[in-house]
Amino acid sequence: MKNVIAYIEHKHGTIRRSSLEAATQARAIADQLGGKAHAVVAGDGAQQAAETLKKYPLDQIHVMEEERFIDGAVDAVEAVAKSSGPSLVLVGNTMIGRDVGSRFAARVDCGINADVVDFKTEGGEVSCVMPKLGGLVITTCKLTGSDYGVAAIRPNVFAAKETPGAGEIVQIPSSGKASTVTVEDEVEEAAAELGVEEASVVVSGGRGMGGPEPFTTILKDLADAFGGAVGASRAAVDAGWVSHGHQVGQTGKTISPQLYIAVGISGAIQHKVGMRTSETIVAINKDAGAPIAEFADLLVAGDAFAIVPELTKLVRDAKAVHA
Amino acid sequence: MKILVTVKLVPDTNADKRIDPATKRLVRTGVETVLNPFDEYAIEAALQLKEKLNDGSTVTIVSMTPASGKEIVRKALAMGADDAVMLSDDAVAGSDLWGTAVALAATIKAQSPDLVVTGTQSTDAISGDLPGMLAEKLGIPGLTYARKLEVDGGRVRVQRETETGYMTVSAPLPAVVSVTKSANEPRYPSLKGIMGAKKKEIKQLAAADIGLTVAVGTDGAKAQLTDLATPPARAKGHVIQAPDAAEGAKAIVQFLKDRKFL
Repeated sequence: MKNVIAYIEHKHGTIRRSSLEAATQARAIADQLGGKAHAVVAGDGAQQAAETLKKYPLDQIHVMEEERFIDGAVDAVEAVAKSSGPSLVLVGNTMIGRDVGSRFAARVDCGINADVVDFKTEGGEVSCVMPKLGGLVITTCKLTGSDYGVAAIRPNVFAAKETPGAGEIVQIPSSGKASTVTVEDEVEEAAAELGVEEASVVVSGGRGMGGPEPFTTILKDLADAFGGAVGASRAAVDAGWVSHGHQVGQTGKTISPQLYIAVGISGAIQHKVGMRTSETIVAINKDAGAPIAEFADLLVAGDAFAIVPELTKLVRDAKAVHA
Repeated sequence: MKILVTVKLVPDTNADKRIDPATKRLVRTGVETVLNPFDEYAIEAALQLKEKLNDGSTVTIVSMTPASGKEIVRKALAMGADDAVMLSDDAVAGSDLWGTAVALAATIKAQSPDLVVTGTQSTDAISGDLPGMLAEKLGIPGLTYARKLEVDGGRVRVQRETETGYMTVSAPLPAVVSVTKSANEPRYPSLKGIMGAKKKEIKQLAAADIGLTVAVGTDGAKAQLTDLATPPARAKGHVIQAPDAAEGAKAIVQFLKDRKFL
Protein backbone atom coordinates (compact mmCIF):
# COMPACT_ATOMS: atom_id res chain seq x y z
CA MET A 1 0.00 0.00 0.00
CA LYS A 2 1.37 3.32 -0.99
CA ASN A 3 -1.51 5.68 -1.61
CA VAL A 4 -4.38 6.68 0.62
CA ILE A 5 -7.94 7.33 -0.54
CA ALA A 6 -10.38 9.19 1.69
CA TYR A 7 -14.03 8.54 0.93
CA ILE A 8 -15.89 11.81 1.47
CA GLU A 9 -19.40 11.70 2.89
CA HIS A 10 -21.54 14.75 2.21
CA LYS A 11 -25.12 15.93 2.01
CA HIS A 12 -25.88 17.94 -1.11
CA GLY A 13 -22.31 19.22 -1.10
CA THR A 14 -21.90 19.83 2.63
CA ILE A 15 -19.14 17.58 3.92
CA ARG A 16 -19.36 15.73 7.23
CA ARG A 17 -16.67 16.60 9.70
CA SER A 18 -15.52 12.98 10.01
CA SER A 19 -14.75 13.04 6.28
CA LEU A 20 -12.62 16.16 6.65
CA GLU A 21 -10.78 14.28 9.38
CA ALA A 22 -10.30 11.40 6.90
CA ALA A 23 -9.04 13.82 4.22
CA THR A 24 -6.47 15.33 6.60
CA GLN A 25 -5.37 11.94 7.89
CA ALA A 26 -5.02 10.60 4.33
CA ARG A 27 -2.20 13.09 3.73
CA ALA A 28 -0.38 12.13 6.94
CA ILE A 29 -0.40 8.41 6.12
CA ALA A 30 0.38 8.94 2.43
CA ASP A 31 3.46 10.95 3.41
CA GLN A 32 4.65 8.13 5.64
CA LEU A 33 4.15 5.63 2.83
CA GLY A 34 5.62 7.91 0.18
CA GLY A 35 2.40 7.91 -1.82
CA LYS A 36 -0.40 10.21 -2.84
CA ALA A 37 -3.48 11.38 -0.96
CA HIS A 38 -6.73 11.09 -2.89
CA ALA A 39 -10.31 11.95 -2.06
CA VAL A 40 -13.41 10.43 -3.63
CA VAL A 41 -16.70 12.26 -3.56
CA ALA A 42 -19.83 10.94 -5.25
CA GLY A 43 -23.46 11.81 -5.74
CA ASP A 44 -25.55 14.96 -5.91
CA GLY A 45 -23.48 17.97 -4.84
CA ALA A 46 -20.14 16.20 -5.35
CA GLN A 47 -18.70 19.09 -7.38
CA GLN A 48 -19.47 21.58 -4.61
CA ALA A 49 -17.92 19.26 -2.01
CA ALA A 50 -14.82 18.98 -4.21
CA GLU A 51 -14.37 22.76 -4.08
CA THR A 52 -14.37 22.62 -0.27
CA LEU A 53 -11.85 19.77 -0.39
CA LYS A 54 -9.33 22.02 -2.16
CA LYS A 55 -8.64 23.53 1.27
CA TYR A 56 -7.39 20.17 2.50
CA PRO A 57 -3.96 18.59 1.80
CA LEU A 58 -4.97 16.31 -1.07
CA ASP A 59 -3.18 15.54 -4.32
CA GLN A 60 -6.28 14.61 -6.28
CA ILE A 61 -10.00 14.97 -5.70
CA HIS A 62 -12.08 12.52 -7.72
CA VAL A 63 -15.66 13.49 -8.48
CA MET A 64 -18.58 11.38 -9.64
CA GLU A 65 -21.83 13.29 -9.84
CA GLU A 66 -23.91 10.22 -10.56
CA GLU A 67 -26.38 9.50 -7.75
CA ARG A 68 -26.75 5.81 -6.96
CA PHE A 69 -27.24 5.17 -3.29
CA ILE A 70 -24.12 3.46 -1.79
CA ASP A 71 -23.48 1.54 -5.05
CA GLY A 72 -22.32 4.69 -6.85
CA ALA A 73 -19.92 5.58 -4.03
CA VAL A 74 -18.48 2.05 -3.94
CA ASP A 75 -18.00 2.09 -7.74
CA ALA A 76 -16.24 5.46 -7.49
CA VAL A 77 -13.88 4.29 -4.73
CA GLU A 78 -13.18 1.12 -6.68
CA ALA A 79 -12.40 3.07 -9.86
CA VAL A 80 -9.95 5.36 -8.04
CA ALA A 81 -8.33 2.45 -6.17
CA LYS A 82 -7.81 0.52 -9.39
CA SER A 83 -6.35 3.54 -11.23
CA SER A 84 -4.08 4.78 -8.44
CA GLY A 85 -2.69 1.40 -7.39
CA PRO A 86 -2.23 -0.25 -4.00
CA SER A 87 -4.13 1.91 -1.54
CA LEU A 88 -5.50 2.27 1.92
CA VAL A 89 -9.10 3.48 1.88
CA LEU A 90 -10.26 5.65 4.77
CA VAL A 91 -13.94 6.00 5.60
CA GLY A 92 -15.62 7.51 8.63
CA ASN A 93 -16.97 4.96 11.09
CA THR A 94 -20.48 6.27 10.39
CA MET A 95 -23.58 4.61 8.93
CA ILE A 96 -22.75 5.58 5.34
CA GLY A 97 -18.99 5.26 5.79
CA ARG A 98 -19.32 1.71 7.09
CA ASP A 99 -21.56 0.73 4.17
CA VAL A 100 -19.15 2.10 1.57
CA GLY A 101 -16.02 0.74 3.26
CA SER A 102 -17.42 -2.73 3.91
CA ARG A 103 -18.77 -3.14 0.38
CA PHE A 104 -15.50 -2.03 -1.15
CA ALA A 105 -13.54 -4.47 1.05
CA ALA A 106 -15.81 -7.35 0.08
CA ARG A 107 -15.64 -6.41 -3.59
CA VAL A 108 -11.85 -6.30 -3.87
CA ASP A 109 -11.23 -8.96 -1.18
CA CYS A 110 -9.18 -6.89 1.21
CA GLY A 111 -8.89 -6.53 4.95
CA ILE A 112 -11.02 -4.05 6.85
CA ASN A 113 -10.59 -2.59 10.31
CA ALA A 114 -13.40 -0.80 12.11
CA ASP A 115 -13.31 1.98 14.67
CA VAL A 116 -9.67 2.88 14.12
CA VAL A 117 -8.09 5.45 16.48
CA ASP A 118 -4.47 5.35 15.37
CA PHE A 119 -2.21 4.14 12.55
CA LYS A 120 1.28 2.68 12.37
CA THR A 121 3.20 2.39 9.13
CA GLU A 122 6.27 0.26 8.70
CA GLY A 123 7.96 -1.05 5.56
CA GLY A 124 5.06 0.04 3.39
CA GLU A 125 2.57 -1.83 5.55
CA VAL A 126 -0.24 -0.23 7.49
CA SER A 127 -1.43 -1.31 10.91
CA CYS A 128 -4.57 0.02 12.58
CA VAL A 129 -4.95 0.57 16.29
CA MET A 130 -8.42 -0.07 17.72
CA PRO A 131 -9.81 -0.19 21.23
CA LYS A 132 -11.91 -3.31 21.71
CA LEU A 133 -14.28 -4.39 24.45
CA GLY A 134 -14.94 -0.77 25.23
CA GLY A 135 -11.34 0.23 25.65
CA LEU A 136 -10.48 -2.74 27.84
CA VAL A 137 -7.88 -3.79 25.29
CA ILE A 138 -6.08 -1.96 22.53
CA THR A 139 -5.55 -4.14 19.49
CA THR A 140 -3.22 -3.58 16.55
CA CYS A 141 -4.08 -5.22 13.24
CA LYS A 142 -1.91 -5.26 10.16
CA LEU A 143 -3.64 -5.00 6.79
CA THR A 144 -2.00 -7.64 4.67
CA GLY A 145 -2.50 -10.12 1.84
CA SER A 146 -4.02 -7.67 -0.63
CA ASP A 147 -3.22 -4.55 -2.60
CA TYR A 148 -5.89 -2.70 -0.69
CA GLY A 149 -7.07 -2.21 2.85
CA VAL A 150 -9.93 -0.34 4.50
CA ALA A 151 -9.92 1.55 7.78
CA ALA A 152 -13.08 3.05 9.25
CA ILE A 153 -11.84 5.83 11.49
CA ARG A 154 -13.62 6.79 14.69
CA PRO A 155 -15.00 10.32 14.33
CA ASN A 156 -13.45 12.97 16.53
CA VAL A 157 -10.11 11.24 17.02
CA PHE A 158 -8.11 12.57 14.07
CA ALA A 159 -7.85 16.32 13.51
CA ALA A 160 -9.31 18.03 10.45
CA LYS A 161 -6.90 20.76 9.37
CA GLU A 162 -7.15 23.15 6.47
CA THR A 163 -3.86 23.03 4.55
CA PRO A 164 -4.35 23.33 0.82
CA GLY A 165 -2.70 20.67 -1.35
CA ALA A 166 -2.41 20.32 -5.12
CA GLY A 167 -6.12 19.57 -5.12
CA GLU A 168 -6.43 18.57 -8.76
CA ILE A 169 -10.06 17.80 -9.52
CA VAL A 170 -10.55 14.69 -11.66
CA GLN A 171 -13.94 13.67 -13.02
CA ILE A 172 -14.91 10.01 -12.87
CA PRO A 173 -17.15 9.11 -15.80
CA SER A 174 -20.62 7.82 -14.99
CA SER A 175 -20.71 4.04 -14.81
CA GLY A 176 -23.97 3.79 -16.70
CA LYS A 177 -25.03 1.00 -14.36
CA ALA A 178 -28.62 0.64 -13.21
CA SER A 179 -29.31 1.14 -9.53
CA THR A 180 -30.40 -1.90 -7.52
CA VAL A 181 -31.62 0.21 -4.63
CA THR A 182 -34.32 2.83 -5.13
CA VAL A 183 -34.45 5.82 -2.79
CA GLU A 184 -38.15 6.67 -2.50
CA ASP A 185 -38.05 9.54 -0.05
CA GLU A 186 -36.05 11.14 2.73
CA VAL A 187 -37.64 12.54 5.88
CA GLU A 188 -36.03 14.92 8.35
CA GLU A 189 -37.40 14.38 11.83
CA ALA A 190 -34.92 16.41 13.82
CA ALA A 191 -33.04 19.58 13.12
CA ALA A 192 -29.66 18.81 11.62
CA GLU A 193 -27.52 18.53 14.69
CA LEU A 194 -24.18 17.02 15.45
CA GLY A 195 -24.47 13.28 16.10
CA VAL A 196 -23.33 11.89 19.42
CA GLU A 197 -20.44 10.12 17.63
CA GLU A 198 -19.04 13.29 16.14
CA ALA A 199 -19.55 15.81 18.93
CA SER A 200 -16.48 16.79 20.91
CA VAL A 201 -18.65 17.35 23.99
CA VAL A 202 -21.46 14.94 24.89
CA VAL A 203 -23.95 15.53 27.71
CA SER A 204 -25.71 12.26 28.53
CA GLY A 205 -28.68 11.48 30.75
CA GLY A 206 -29.70 8.27 32.43
CA ARG A 207 -32.36 6.79 34.62
CA GLY A 208 -31.84 9.62 37.09
CA MET A 209 -33.50 12.05 34.66
CA GLY A 210 -36.86 10.52 35.52
CA GLY A 211 -38.55 11.18 32.16
CA PRO A 212 -38.19 12.46 28.60
CA GLU A 213 -38.38 16.19 29.32
CA PRO A 214 -34.94 16.90 30.77
CA PHE A 215 -33.36 15.54 27.57
CA THR A 216 -34.88 18.30 25.45
CA THR A 217 -34.57 20.99 28.09
CA ILE A 218 -31.81 20.97 30.70
CA LEU A 219 -29.44 18.47 29.06
CA LYS A 220 -29.97 20.03 25.62
CA ASP A 221 -29.26 23.48 27.05
CA LEU A 222 -25.95 22.35 28.52
CA ALA A 223 -25.00 20.50 25.33
CA ASP A 224 -25.85 23.61 23.30
CA ALA A 225 -23.71 25.78 25.56
CA PHE A 226 -20.74 23.60 24.58
CA GLY A 227 -21.84 23.18 20.97
CA GLY A 228 -22.14 19.47 21.74
CA ALA A 229 -24.68 16.67 21.54
CA VAL A 230 -27.11 14.92 23.89
CA GLY A 231 -26.51 11.26 24.68
CA ALA A 232 -28.34 8.71 26.79
CA SER A 233 -27.87 5.48 28.69
CA ARG A 234 -29.68 2.29 27.78
CA ALA A 235 -32.08 2.70 30.69
CA ALA A 236 -33.24 6.07 29.33
CA VAL A 237 -33.60 4.73 25.79
CA ASP A 238 -35.41 1.57 26.90
CA ALA A 239 -37.81 3.73 28.93
CA GLY A 240 -38.65 5.53 25.68
CA TRP A 241 -37.44 8.93 26.91
CA VAL A 242 -35.03 9.47 24.03
CA SER A 243 -34.48 7.79 20.66
CA HIS A 244 -32.02 4.97 20.13
CA GLY A 245 -29.75 7.12 17.97
CA HIS A 246 -28.60 8.86 21.14
CA GLN A 247 -27.69 5.72 23.03
CA VAL A 248 -24.13 5.37 24.29
CA GLY A 249 -23.03 1.92 25.34
CA GLN A 250 -22.54 -1.64 24.26
CA THR A 251 -25.88 -1.88 22.48
CA GLY A 252 -25.64 1.74 21.38
CA LYS A 253 -22.71 3.80 20.16
CA THR A 254 -19.09 3.80 21.24
CA ILE A 255 -17.80 7.34 21.45
CA SER A 256 -14.61 9.25 22.29
CA PRO A 257 -15.52 12.87 22.87
CA GLN A 258 -13.04 15.23 24.47
CA LEU A 259 -15.51 15.83 27.28
CA TYR A 260 -18.26 13.50 28.47
CA ILE A 261 -20.73 14.73 31.06
CA ALA A 262 -22.83 11.93 32.56
CA VAL A 263 -25.92 13.16 34.35
CA GLY A 264 -27.94 10.76 36.50
CA ILE A 265 -26.07 7.79 35.06
CA SER A 266 -24.87 5.15 37.49
CA GLY A 267 -22.13 3.86 35.17
CA ALA A 268 -23.11 0.24 34.64
CA ILE A 269 -20.67 -1.84 32.59
CA GLN A 270 -22.94 -1.63 29.55
CA HIS A 271 -22.61 2.14 29.53
CA LYS A 272 -18.97 2.25 30.58
CA VAL A 273 -18.02 0.24 27.50
CA GLY A 274 -19.44 2.95 25.23
CA MET A 275 -17.74 5.98 26.75
CA ARG A 276 -14.71 4.80 28.70
CA THR A 277 -12.35 6.17 26.05
CA SER A 278 -13.67 9.73 26.44
CA GLU A 279 -10.79 12.06 27.17
CA THR A 280 -12.34 13.66 30.24
CA ILE A 281 -15.36 12.37 32.16
CA VAL A 282 -17.47 14.44 34.52
CA ALA A 283 -20.39 12.85 36.38
CA ILE A 284 -23.25 14.50 38.19
CA ASN A 285 -25.09 12.03 40.35
CA LYS A 286 -26.99 12.05 43.60
CA ASP A 287 -25.08 8.95 44.69
CA ALA A 288 -21.38 9.54 45.40
CA GLY A 289 -20.89 5.78 45.54
CA ALA A 290 -22.28 5.04 42.05
CA PRO A 291 -20.00 2.82 39.91
CA ILE A 292 -19.22 5.81 37.65
CA ALA A 293 -17.13 7.25 40.52
CA GLU A 294 -14.59 4.55 39.68
CA PHE A 295 -13.77 6.00 36.26
CA ALA A 296 -15.03 9.58 36.17
CA ASP A 297 -12.34 12.25 36.48
CA LEU A 298 -14.74 14.27 38.59
CA LEU A 299 -17.98 13.24 40.25
CA VAL A 300 -20.16 15.89 41.80
CA ALA A 301 -22.68 14.36 44.15
CA GLY A 302 -25.83 16.43 44.31
CA ASP A 303 -29.12 17.33 42.70
CA ALA A 304 -28.61 17.26 38.93
CA PHE A 305 -31.82 19.20 38.29
CA ALA A 306 -30.38 22.14 40.22
CA ILE A 307 -26.71 21.76 39.26
CA VAL A 308 -27.07 21.40 35.47
CA PRO A 309 -28.99 24.66 34.81
CA GLU A 310 -26.54 26.50 37.06
CA LEU A 311 -23.63 24.92 35.22
CA THR A 312 -25.15 25.86 31.85
CA LYS A 313 -25.31 29.48 32.95
CA LEU A 314 -21.68 29.50 34.10
CA VAL A 315 -20.49 27.80 30.92
CA ARG A 316 -22.34 30.39 28.80
CA ASP A 317 -20.78 33.20 30.88
CA ALA A 318 -17.29 31.72 30.54
CA LYS A 319 -17.70 31.31 26.78
CA ALA A 320 -19.03 34.88 26.44
CA VAL A 321 -15.88 36.25 28.10
CA HIS A 322 -13.72 34.49 25.51
CA ALA A 323 -15.93 35.44 22.57
CA MET B 1 -40.44 -17.14 1.09
CA LYS B 2 -37.26 -18.40 2.71
CA ILE B 3 -35.96 -15.93 5.29
CA LEU B 4 -32.49 -16.36 6.78
CA VAL B 5 -31.30 -14.68 9.96
CA THR B 6 -27.61 -14.55 10.85
CA VAL B 7 -26.71 -14.78 14.53
CA LYS B 8 -23.50 -14.58 16.52
CA LEU B 9 -22.47 -15.73 19.95
CA VAL B 10 -20.89 -13.04 22.10
CA PRO B 11 -19.59 -12.76 25.67
CA ASP B 12 -22.34 -11.67 28.08
CA THR B 13 -22.84 -7.96 27.57
CA ASN B 14 -23.41 -7.32 31.25
CA ALA B 15 -20.30 -9.10 32.46
CA ASP B 16 -17.29 -7.06 33.47
CA LYS B 17 -14.62 -8.53 31.21
CA ARG B 18 -11.01 -8.99 32.19
CA ILE B 19 -7.84 -9.66 30.25
CA ASP B 20 -5.40 -12.23 31.57
CA PRO B 21 -2.15 -10.23 31.91
CA ALA B 22 -0.02 -13.30 31.07
CA THR B 23 -1.84 -14.67 28.02
CA LYS B 24 -3.34 -11.32 26.99
CA ARG B 25 -6.56 -13.13 26.19
CA LEU B 26 -10.05 -12.50 27.42
CA VAL B 27 -10.73 -14.41 30.62
CA ARG B 28 -13.66 -16.59 29.57
CA THR B 29 -14.09 -18.37 32.87
CA GLY B 30 -17.24 -17.12 34.47
CA VAL B 31 -18.22 -15.09 31.41
CA GLU B 32 -21.33 -16.58 29.87
CA THR B 33 -21.85 -16.67 26.12
CA VAL B 34 -25.10 -15.17 24.90
CA LEU B 35 -26.94 -14.51 21.68
CA ASN B 36 -25.72 -11.16 20.34
CA PRO B 37 -28.43 -8.74 21.58
CA PHE B 38 -28.56 -6.95 18.21
CA ASP B 39 -29.46 -10.25 16.53
CA GLU B 40 -32.62 -10.60 18.61
CA TYR B 41 -34.09 -7.66 16.67
CA ALA B 42 -33.25 -9.44 13.42
CA ILE B 43 -34.94 -12.64 14.58
CA GLU B 44 -38.01 -10.72 15.73
CA ALA B 45 -38.20 -8.83 12.42
CA ALA B 46 -38.03 -12.10 10.47
CA LEU B 47 -40.69 -13.76 12.64
CA GLN B 48 -43.01 -10.77 12.30
CA LEU B 49 -42.56 -10.83 8.55
CA LYS B 50 -43.31 -14.55 8.40
CA GLU B 51 -46.42 -14.09 10.54
CA LYS B 52 -47.64 -11.19 8.44
CA LEU B 53 -47.08 -12.96 5.13
CA ASN B 54 -48.75 -16.09 6.51
CA ASP B 55 -47.97 -17.95 3.30
CA GLY B 56 -45.83 -20.81 4.54
CA SER B 57 -42.68 -18.67 4.68
CA THR B 58 -39.91 -20.07 6.85
CA VAL B 59 -37.23 -18.57 9.09
CA THR B 60 -33.82 -20.27 9.18
CA ILE B 61 -31.08 -19.29 11.62
CA VAL B 62 -27.53 -19.24 10.25
CA SER B 63 -24.47 -19.04 12.46
CA MET B 64 -20.74 -19.45 12.08
CA THR B 65 -19.82 -20.83 15.45
CA PRO B 66 -18.03 -23.69 17.19
CA ALA B 67 -20.22 -26.72 17.90
CA SER B 68 -20.47 -25.53 21.50
CA GLY B 69 -22.68 -22.69 20.29
CA LYS B 70 -25.59 -25.04 19.67
CA GLU B 71 -27.45 -24.08 22.83
CA ILE B 72 -27.42 -20.41 21.89
CA VAL B 73 -28.68 -21.20 18.41
CA ARG B 74 -31.45 -23.16 20.10
CA LYS B 75 -32.56 -19.99 21.86
CA ALA B 76 -33.20 -18.45 18.44
CA LEU B 77 -35.25 -21.53 17.56
CA ALA B 78 -37.14 -21.20 20.84
CA MET B 79 -38.16 -17.68 19.82
CA GLY B 80 -39.94 -19.26 16.84
CA ALA B 81 -37.48 -19.84 13.98
CA ASP B 82 -38.07 -23.05 12.03
CA ASP B 83 -34.59 -24.54 11.75
CA ALA B 84 -30.91 -23.66 11.85
CA VAL B 85 -27.67 -24.10 9.95
CA MET B 86 -24.35 -23.93 11.77
CA LEU B 87 -20.99 -23.59 10.07
CA SER B 88 -18.63 -25.22 12.56
CA ASP B 89 -15.12 -25.88 11.37
CA ASP B 90 -11.61 -25.21 12.68
CA ALA B 91 -10.80 -23.88 9.21
CA VAL B 92 -12.97 -20.82 9.81
CA ALA B 93 -11.94 -20.22 13.43
CA GLY B 94 -10.19 -16.90 13.96
CA SER B 95 -11.52 -15.40 10.73
CA ASP B 96 -11.28 -11.65 10.31
CA LEU B 97 -14.20 -9.65 8.92
CA TRP B 98 -13.30 -10.53 5.34
CA GLY B 99 -13.01 -14.26 6.12
CA THR B 100 -16.25 -14.20 8.06
CA ALA B 101 -18.04 -12.53 5.16
CA VAL B 102 -16.65 -15.05 2.67
CA ALA B 103 -17.54 -18.11 4.76
CA LEU B 104 -20.93 -16.85 5.90
CA ALA B 105 -21.89 -15.76 2.38
CA ALA B 106 -21.04 -19.24 1.05
CA THR B 107 -23.16 -20.80 3.79
CA ILE B 108 -26.04 -18.47 3.01
CA LYS B 109 -25.79 -19.00 -0.75
CA ALA B 110 -26.15 -22.75 -0.31
CA GLN B 111 -29.54 -22.09 1.33
CA SER B 112 -30.85 -19.96 -1.60
CA PRO B 113 -32.75 -17.50 0.59
CA ASP B 114 -35.21 -14.84 -0.60
CA LEU B 115 -34.27 -12.50 2.23
CA VAL B 116 -31.36 -12.32 4.69
CA VAL B 117 -31.96 -10.39 7.92
CA THR B 118 -29.08 -9.41 10.22
CA GLY B 119 -28.52 -7.26 13.28
CA THR B 120 -26.62 -4.02 12.73
CA GLN B 121 -23.53 -5.16 14.60
CA SER B 122 -22.24 -7.49 17.30
CA THR B 123 -21.56 -6.35 20.83
CA ASP B 124 -18.03 -7.77 20.82
CA ALA B 125 -16.58 -6.69 17.46
CA ILE B 126 -18.85 -3.64 17.05
CA SER B 127 -17.84 -3.12 13.42
CA GLY B 128 -21.23 -2.94 11.70
CA ASP B 129 -19.48 -4.04 8.52
CA LEU B 130 -20.82 -7.54 7.97
CA PRO B 131 -24.27 -6.74 6.45
CA GLY B 132 -22.72 -4.71 3.62
CA MET B 133 -20.01 -7.31 3.03
CA LEU B 134 -22.57 -10.12 2.85
CA ALA B 135 -24.67 -8.22 0.31
CA GLU B 136 -21.62 -7.59 -1.82
CA LYS B 137 -20.38 -11.18 -1.58
CA LEU B 138 -23.84 -12.53 -2.42
CA GLY B 139 -24.16 -10.05 -5.26
CA ILE B 140 -27.56 -8.83 -4.06
CA PRO B 141 -28.85 -5.46 -2.79
CA GLY B 142 -28.06 -4.56 0.82
CA LEU B 143 -30.37 -2.30 2.81
CA THR B 144 -28.90 -1.41 6.17
CA TYR B 145 -30.09 0.27 9.39
CA ALA B 146 -33.76 -0.59 8.82
CA ARG B 147 -36.16 0.43 11.54
CA LYS B 148 -39.11 -0.89 9.54
CA LEU B 149 -39.31 -3.44 6.75
CA GLU B 150 -42.01 -4.85 4.52
CA VAL B 151 -42.07 -7.25 1.59
CA ASP B 152 -44.48 -6.78 -1.26
CA GLY B 153 -44.53 -7.89 -4.87
CA GLY B 154 -41.03 -9.31 -4.87
CA ARG B 155 -39.52 -6.16 -3.35
CA VAL B 156 -38.34 -5.31 0.12
CA ARG B 157 -38.95 -1.78 1.33
CA VAL B 158 -37.30 -0.40 4.46
CA GLN B 159 -37.15 2.76 6.48
CA ARG B 160 -33.43 3.36 6.80
CA GLU B 161 -32.42 5.37 9.84
CA THR B 162 -30.32 8.47 9.22
CA GLU B 163 -28.71 10.84 11.71
CA THR B 164 -31.63 13.24 11.37
CA GLY B 165 -34.60 11.05 10.44
CA TYR B 166 -35.06 8.29 7.92
CA MET B 167 -35.19 7.50 4.24
CA THR B 168 -37.36 4.97 2.47
CA VAL B 169 -35.38 2.65 0.21
CA SER B 170 -36.46 -0.44 -1.68
CA ALA B 171 -34.87 -3.19 -3.73
CA PRO B 172 -35.83 -6.39 -5.50
CA LEU B 173 -35.50 -9.71 -3.64
CA PRO B 174 -33.30 -11.45 -2.77
CA ALA B 175 -31.66 -8.87 -0.54
CA VAL B 176 -29.81 -8.41 2.74
CA VAL B 177 -31.45 -6.19 5.35
CA SER B 178 -29.92 -5.19 8.69
CA VAL B 179 -32.37 -4.04 11.35
CA THR B 180 -31.80 -1.62 14.22
CA LYS B 181 -32.95 -1.66 17.82
CA SER B 182 -35.81 0.66 16.88
CA ALA B 183 -37.35 -2.00 14.61
CA ASN B 184 -39.19 -3.95 17.28
CA GLU B 185 -39.27 -5.40 20.78
CA PRO B 186 -37.86 -8.96 20.64
CA ARG B 187 -40.15 -11.61 22.11
CA TYR B 188 -39.13 -13.92 24.92
CA PRO B 189 -39.15 -17.61 24.10
CA SER B 190 -42.33 -19.20 25.47
CA LEU B 191 -42.22 -22.47 27.39
CA LYS B 192 -43.86 -24.11 24.40
CA GLY B 193 -41.21 -22.55 22.17
CA ILE B 194 -38.40 -23.82 24.38
CA MET B 195 -39.82 -27.35 24.40
CA GLY B 196 -40.49 -27.25 20.65
CA ALA B 197 -36.97 -26.00 19.88
CA LYS B 198 -35.49 -29.24 21.15
CA LYS B 199 -37.07 -31.08 18.24
CA LYS B 200 -36.05 -28.59 15.56
CA GLU B 201 -33.25 -29.43 13.18
CA ILE B 202 -29.83 -27.81 13.55
CA LYS B 203 -27.81 -28.76 10.50
CA GLN B 204 -24.06 -28.68 11.10
CA LEU B 205 -21.86 -27.95 8.12
CA ALA B 206 -18.09 -28.03 7.64
CA ALA B 207 -16.10 -25.77 5.32
CA ALA B 208 -16.01 -28.53 2.67
CA ASP B 209 -19.83 -28.67 2.61
CA ILE B 210 -20.12 -25.08 1.42
CA GLY B 211 -17.41 -25.32 -1.20
CA LEU B 212 -15.03 -22.86 0.41
CA THR B 213 -12.11 -22.51 -1.96
CA VAL B 214 -10.08 -19.73 -0.35
CA ALA B 215 -8.26 -19.83 2.96
CA VAL B 216 -10.06 -17.98 5.71
CA GLY B 217 -9.59 -18.44 9.47
CA THR B 218 -6.57 -17.14 11.34
CA ASP B 219 -4.08 -17.92 8.55
CA GLY B 220 -6.15 -16.36 5.80
CA ALA B 221 -6.93 -13.17 7.70
CA LYS B 222 -6.24 -9.97 5.76
CA ALA B 223 -6.44 -7.94 8.96
CA GLN B 224 -4.04 -9.77 11.23
CA LEU B 225 -3.83 -9.16 14.92
CA THR B 226 -0.24 -8.25 15.72
CA ASP B 227 -0.54 -6.76 19.17
CA LEU B 228 -2.93 -6.67 22.06
CA ALA B 229 -2.25 -4.36 24.94
CA THR B 230 -4.08 -3.34 28.05
CA PRO B 231 -4.25 0.43 28.43
CA PRO B 232 -3.33 1.93 31.77
CA ALA B 233 -6.36 1.92 34.06
CA ARG B 234 -8.15 5.26 34.45
CA ALA B 235 -7.12 6.88 37.67
CA LYS B 236 -9.97 7.26 40.11
CA GLY B 237 -11.08 10.86 40.01
CA HIS B 238 -12.24 13.32 42.59
CA VAL B 239 -15.61 13.10 44.28
CA ILE B 240 -17.14 16.31 45.54
CA GLN B 241 -20.23 16.47 47.72
CA ALA B 242 -22.44 19.33 46.59
CA PRO B 243 -25.49 19.87 48.77
CA ASP B 244 -25.49 23.40 47.31
CA ALA B 245 -26.11 23.38 43.54
CA ALA B 246 -24.26 26.65 42.88
CA GLU B 247 -21.16 25.29 44.63
CA GLY B 248 -21.37 22.06 42.65
CA ALA B 249 -21.65 23.93 39.35
CA LYS B 250 -18.73 26.18 40.31
CA ALA B 251 -16.57 23.16 41.12
CA ILE B 252 -17.26 21.70 37.67
CA VAL B 253 -16.49 24.99 35.94
CA GLN B 254 -13.20 25.31 37.80
CA PHE B 255 -12.32 21.75 36.82
CA LEU B 256 -13.16 22.51 33.17
CA LYS B 257 -11.09 25.69 33.27
CA ASP B 258 -8.12 23.78 34.71
CA ARG B 259 -8.39 21.36 31.81
CA LYS B 260 -8.73 24.22 29.29
CA PHE B 261 -12.28 23.36 28.25
CA LEU B 262 -13.37 26.87 29.17
